[in-house]
Amino acid sequence: MSPWVLRGLRDGVVTTRWPARPDPYAEGWRGPAVVLDARSDRVANLVSLCPTGSISQGSDGEVTLDQGCCILCGRCVQERPDVFGWSRGAAAAALSRTGLVVPEIGETDQGLAAVRAALAARTAALRRSVHLRHVDAGSDGAEEQEIAALLNPVYDIHRLGIFFTASPRHADVLLVTGAGAHGMAEPLRRTYAGMPDPKIVIAIGTDAVSGGLLGGNAEDTAADGTPRQPVSGDGAPAGGTSASAGIPGGSYATSGGVGAVVPVDVWIPGSPPPPFAILHGLLAGLGRLPGRQESEGARR
Amino acid sequence: MTAAGSPADSVTAEWNMIAREVAAGRRFAGLMGTQQGDAVLLSAHLTGPGEVTTHDVVLPADASSYPALTPVLGAAFWYEREIHDLFGIVPEGHPRLEPLILPLAGEHAPHPRPGAPGLAPAAIWPDEHSVPRHVLGPGLFTIPHGPVRSGVMESIEYLVETPGEDIPHLNMRLFYKHRGIEKRLEQLTVGDGVLLAERTEGVASVAHALAYAHAVEQIGGTSEVPWRAGLVRVLHAELERLAAHVDAATRLADAAGLAVATARFGLHKERVARLVGRMCGSRFGRGVVVPGGVSGMPMVSGSDFLAEISRMERAVTADARVLMGTASFLDRLRGTGPLRPERAREHGALGPIGKASGFSDDARGTRPYDAYPGLGLGDPPEHRAGDALARLRVRWDEVRQSFHLLRQAADELSGAGEGPLRLPGEVSSGRAAGWAEAPQGEVLYDLRIEDGRITRCRPRSASFHNLVLFHEVFAGDILTDFPFIEASFGLSVAGVAL
Amino acid sequence: MSGFSVVFAAGLSAFGLAGMVDLIVGARRDRLRSLPYLTGAAGAACLAMTGAGALAGHPARLAVAGWLGRGTAPMAADRLSGLFLVIAFSAAFAVSLAFAAWAARPGAVGRRGLGASYALTLGAVAVFMTAGDAFTALLAWELLTIAFYLLAGFERGRAGRPGAAFITLAFGKISGAALLLGLLLLAVRSGSLDLASFAVVPPGAARDAAQALLIAGFAVKVGLVPFQVWLPRGYAAAPGPARAIMGGVAVNAGFYGLWRTLGLLGAPPAWLIGTLLVLAGLTALLGIAHAAVQPRLQRVIAYSSVENSGLILAGYGVALVGTAIHDERLVAVGLLAATLQIIAHAAAKSLLFTSSAVITSDEEGGLPSAGDDSLDALRGSARHRPWSGTGLAIGSLTLAGLPLTMGFVSEWFLLEALMQQFRVPVLGYRLLLAIAGAAVALTAGFAGVTFVRLIGLVVLGPPAGKDGSGAAGSAGGGRWDSGRRWDGGWLGRAGIVILSACCLAMTALLPLLIRALAAGLSPVVPAMVTNGARQSAWVLGPVFSGFSVLSPSWLWIVMPLLALAVLAFTRLVAGTRMTRVRRVPAWRSATAGIEGADSYTAGGFANPTRRVLAAVLHTRSELRPLTTAPEPDTQDPADLKSEPATDLAPVPGPRLSYSSDVIEVVEDYVYRPMLGPVMALVGTAKRLQSGRLDAYLAYMLIALVALLALVTALA
Repeated sequence: MSPWVLRGLRDGVVTTRWPARPDPYAEGWRGPAVVLDARSDRVANLVSLCPTGSISQGSDGEVTLDQGCCILCGRCVQERPDVFGWSRGAAAAALSRTGLVVPEIGETDQGLAAVRAALAARTAALRRSVHLRHVDAGSDGAEEQEIAALLNPVYDIHRLGIFFTASPRHADVLLVTGAGAHGMAEPLRRTYAGMPDPKIVIAIGTDAVSGGLLGGNAEDTAADGTPRQPVSGDGAPAGGTSASAGIPGGSYATSGGVGAVVPVDVWIPGSPPPPFAILHGLLAGLGRLPGRQESEGARR
Repeated sequence: MTAAGSPADSVTAEWNMIAREVAAGRRFAGLMGTQQGDAVLLSAHLTGPGEVTTHDVVLPADASSYPALTPVLGAAFWYEREIHDLFGIVPEGHPRLEPLILPLAGEHAPHPRPGAPGLAPAAIWPDEHSVPRHVLGPGLFTIPHGPVRSGVMESIEYLVETPGEDIPHLNMRLFYKHRGIEKRLEQLTVGDGVLLAERTEGVASVAHALAYAHAVEQIGGTSEVPWRAGLVRVLHAELERLAAHVDAATRLADAAGLAVATARFGLHKERVARLVGRMCGSRFGRGVVVPGGVSGMPMVSGSDFLAEISRMERAVTADARVLMGTASFLDRLRGTGPLRPERAREHGALGPIGKASGFSDDARGTRPYDAYPGLGLGDPPEHRAGDALARLRVRWDEVRQSFHLLRQAADELSGAGEGPLRLPGEVSSGRAAGWAEAPQGEVLYDLRIEDGRITRCRPRSASFHNLVLFHEVFAGDILTDFPFIEASFGLSVAGVAL
Repeated sequence: MSGFSVVFAAGLSAFGLAGMVDLIVGARRDRLRSLPYLTGAAGAACLAMTGAGALAGHPARLAVAGWLGRGTAPMAADRLSGLFLVIAFSAAFAVSLAFAAWAARPGAVGRRGLGASYALTLGAVAVFMTAGDAFTALLAWELLTIAFYLLAGFERGRAGRPGAAFITLAFGKISGAALLLGLLLLAVRSGSLDLASFAVVPPGAARDAAQALLIAGFAVKVGLVPFQVWLPRGYAAAPGPARAIMGGVAVNAGFYGLWRTLGLLGAPPAWLIGTLLVLAGLTALLGIAHAAVQPRLQRVIAYSSVENSGLILAGYGVALVGTAIHDERLVAVGLLAATLQIIAHAAAKSLLFTSSAVITSDEEGGLPSAGDDSLDALRGSARHRPWSGTGLAIGSLTLAGLPLTMGFVSEWFLLEALMQQFRVPVLGYRLLLAIAGAAVALTAGFAGVTFVRLIGLVVLGPPAGKDGSGAAGSAGGGRWDSGRRWDGGWLGRAGIVILSACCLAMTALLPLLIRALAAGLSPVVPAMVTNGARQSAWVLGPVFSGFSVLSPSWLWIVMPLLALAVLAFTRLVAGTRMTRVRRVPAWRSATAGIEGADSYTAGGFANPTRRVLAAVLHTRSELRPLTTAPEPDTQDPADLKSEPATDLAPVPGPRLSYSSDVIEVVEDYVYRPMLGPVMALVGTAKRLQSGRLDAYLAYMLIALVALLALVTALA
């Protein structure tokens, strides 16, 4: 008899019961940074703490942090633990890009509900059996490992009726990782066009959400990724790095996240996000999370 | 056109000297270019026991070509193509100058030219049609496989030329994932540089950070970090090696269709990742290594760590033994994708690929760093077969070695008492090369800083050095052997396309 | 004379008329060029009617044998002849229609003679099938050989055609010589030239030898190993639909001969049965092995003829075994299976050759160029020529044996017949039947591979010449896309439709067909036994009851209904979304693309088959670098696994070229070694032709003396 037959029975059942039951690993996970105390002193320049420029200070000193740019380096938490802290839990995903900004502005609640409703309407047919297609648009390889980890016995994505597929013709969900390398813009578009409707797109990782450290010269690319007139040298791009810190714009070879190439429905920050965060974002996008865990982002 | 007379001759003389050194026993470790004003500086790295030497040669201002190194030293094949892509200068005599990581159309396309901080380039778009598109001769056809591959894999395109069953030849297109890392590293501060170094090649984050940190520490005049910091670095480096080798075993078992083996090794990898996450907050060991030391102690007690490591060692070793006794699995690997020992030595193949073909140049042994001089590496067995089975055996040897090192380091750390975790002081200017042994092989960083900012940083990952050998290992293999050969190489495309 | 005799005579005269029209009128005017074929079609229709009448019990008779010379019995169409007349000439009718359309194209036929050869072929087949005495039969056979020679050598200006025609003639003469010897042996023993009198020849060495010779002669015609070497060349050399006449109509004459031999002489000796079974299995396997790897369309179809001959002869072998052990049911099932396979083959082969003639024809007229029928150049032809493409598809499906086609039924019957080997008490026969059964089963599998390649590339593939892809191997880069091409005209399409309908519709009406076959085979095996295959009104079985059943008629009802049910269910569930289609380029893993061959070529698809069957095909492959660049040559060409010998850095890959060859084992190992001694013999014999009068007079004297001595000794 094959030696592997009984070997699989060692260690018993290691599969998590999440989302049916809470999982301590998921709940204890240290996610992107959050703002603990938004009204801080107006003197200190907190913006320069962040190497990717995710911290913004309004004119009245009000501090906001864009989790979509957070690469979890921990510098802000280390320097100013009174203002910044870590979020806990794996519920880091958001259904809109602005939903990743903490602390959230009140008026976006209605917008968020509308987005959620629209997404639910589109994915009404995708409840029980879903196929995923992954495209690497210039990642560093870590996000792929975390996505592949969804297939190991601990997370076992098959128990949720979710499968990976090789052909985009059979896929319902497009998982995109990577900062939007220019070389992959056209293949990514081809893959997106090759998927039948309804489909949703999930950007996994801070690189895919905003480009991370490779922010990208957003002014050089139009929404569909076609290059505009190149800007020389010192253009200050939005949504990525901050010019006021003296750090010039990101990379010449990326588009600042994949939002510029395909329309993204779910944004999952993290560097890289753990498998639980990916799973949470996936189920949120499919509308399969039980009520209270709707994707508000990890505000806790 | 080269300036006639001495500049070309001096370059040729330098190349001949390098070739002689390589013939004498040193290993060629990389060639890079740096833009300095109007001229380009070419730097070649050679490694030997205990040191890495850099040989610079300045090309004349506005030179558009130079005598190529590849006819003299074949291992420079891809390095010169990369230099041509980034700088636009032509290595004359290069046997096959096609775009590698950045195909650009037209004569006046803007090249990134790393090394010139003032010129932050605007967006550069690669031209899909500048790569060679018409292939081969009669009787063969090409199967383009990629860049979107049939699994959760990194983007790379393989052009498999086949008559229908065998693979006599293979081409690769790597430009899809080019992110412009080298140019982005410029203008970052020394402290921020380690963040991007970690994210160059995600599966070797710790090793890249180590290599970068070593370069900074060398510039700062010292190569010794505090003992406790060195031990923590060893812990994370070996855990990363463990994770990578278990991942390679998972992929091989998956390619062979052994479902239980795939699940078991997937479980082990998850346990390693969770352990690393408990130690430092990141499942990939990010944020631990900083120039001068480490950022903090592991958040797991020594006894817990040792217990977890012992449990893991028992489980992994047992499963590995059963895997290496599964005849159907071994049949798929034996004789598949052989790399000849002469070729490995000639090219200087790194990591498990080189060790499986009898060429071993483990940086932890020949150029030790951190706490490795104080720990025992042991004497792993020699392999010469060079096929996928040998590479897997080498990986199991390294796994055993890693467990041993982990136990030693954890023991030492428990009894190491108190002390600083970082070297004091800031580094402001200088140039040095730092290295570390990643799971795929040696990672080399050539770093030049001025006033606390990076002016040129070249991360040379082991994947970049080794992937060119992928062309040569298909000797009589057929299409179904392809995933085994790819998984046995275990390289990361992110580190190649940069 | 009865009515059917009149029709019979009318048919034969129609052929004569067709031949004369072609010789007189020639090939000058388009419209008149199709006249011989239309006349031939009318003649074929008459003969088919004669055959039907004979099957129904009204034999036709024509007493013209005395006119032809030494004939002693009238030409008569009894049930067996009637059966084969119906089979051959129904196919001939449809093919003639297509032939007429094909010949009417401007520049299609360069000179007179094709129509005459065509008429001669049909006439010879008709006469052979109705011959009543040995002389008429031999005359018809030799005429058939000449007709084949004329057809194969018609385009004698093209490369390879004269050689092919010569080989056709040579093997035709061999078969004629075998027939001559066999029939004369029997005639001596029975004392008369009447075929019917051969049945009473007492058993003995002479009768066995004669039977062996007869079977060998007919086996040469149908292409049994080791005589199959002329078939691919001969068939491929003939122009256009003449191939269908040769391979789909005239080949049935050989089968008729075999059936008639069984009917007249009964069981051959055991060694002959054994040899036949083994050779049949080998033929089937060899035929399909070569068909699977040929790069050219006509060759694929021609080798498929070899395969089908093997299958038919395997069924015939079962019948021989049954005759040897006196089990009539075994005879019935064997003959039934073989005859059904003959029918399927006649319809499908004619369809395939006709469709391929239309597909490879050029729009501008003129005969197609020699290299034009390579599968790579013909990719996606069905898009330009939907009718002939569909015909090709249906013919391929029939020969591959897919359900709802005639080929499925015939192969089912054949395998069932071979499976009855457990009922045979003699161990030797059982083993041989098992071997033949295994070979046939293996053949069926490879037939699927062969015809999938045909359908996938020629019928369904992307059109050649578009974006340069798929046009590898054709030096001209494929054709330009000019929309619809000549698709046979309405006559050609009529022919294709008739043949396709035969392939498909006969399956549904199989019980009726079996009744007709039982009647047709009654000279060999009683009709009551054969009718045992109809186990109930619409259910069939392999004559032995309780073994297994098949109902193709029910299949024809149920399978389409199931397909419709699936469609209906999908429509119900999916609503209108099913019809909303968004077209995007085919998924090639999002690649930037390459120029040139980027998907499976015909050769590439056949490569695994070439490797798996390397023992049968003696595959030889060669990988060679093409470059002559200044860098040192790093790849050793002859050996795929060799190490590159270099002391410099090897470059990832010079341009490579790959070529792969298969050889015809029989030709290489049986005929080529014989060539030397035979030529030596010929050289010696040539010395007789000294050109000197006195030598010739001496020969005549010696011959006369020898004859006198012989007569004196025998008297």
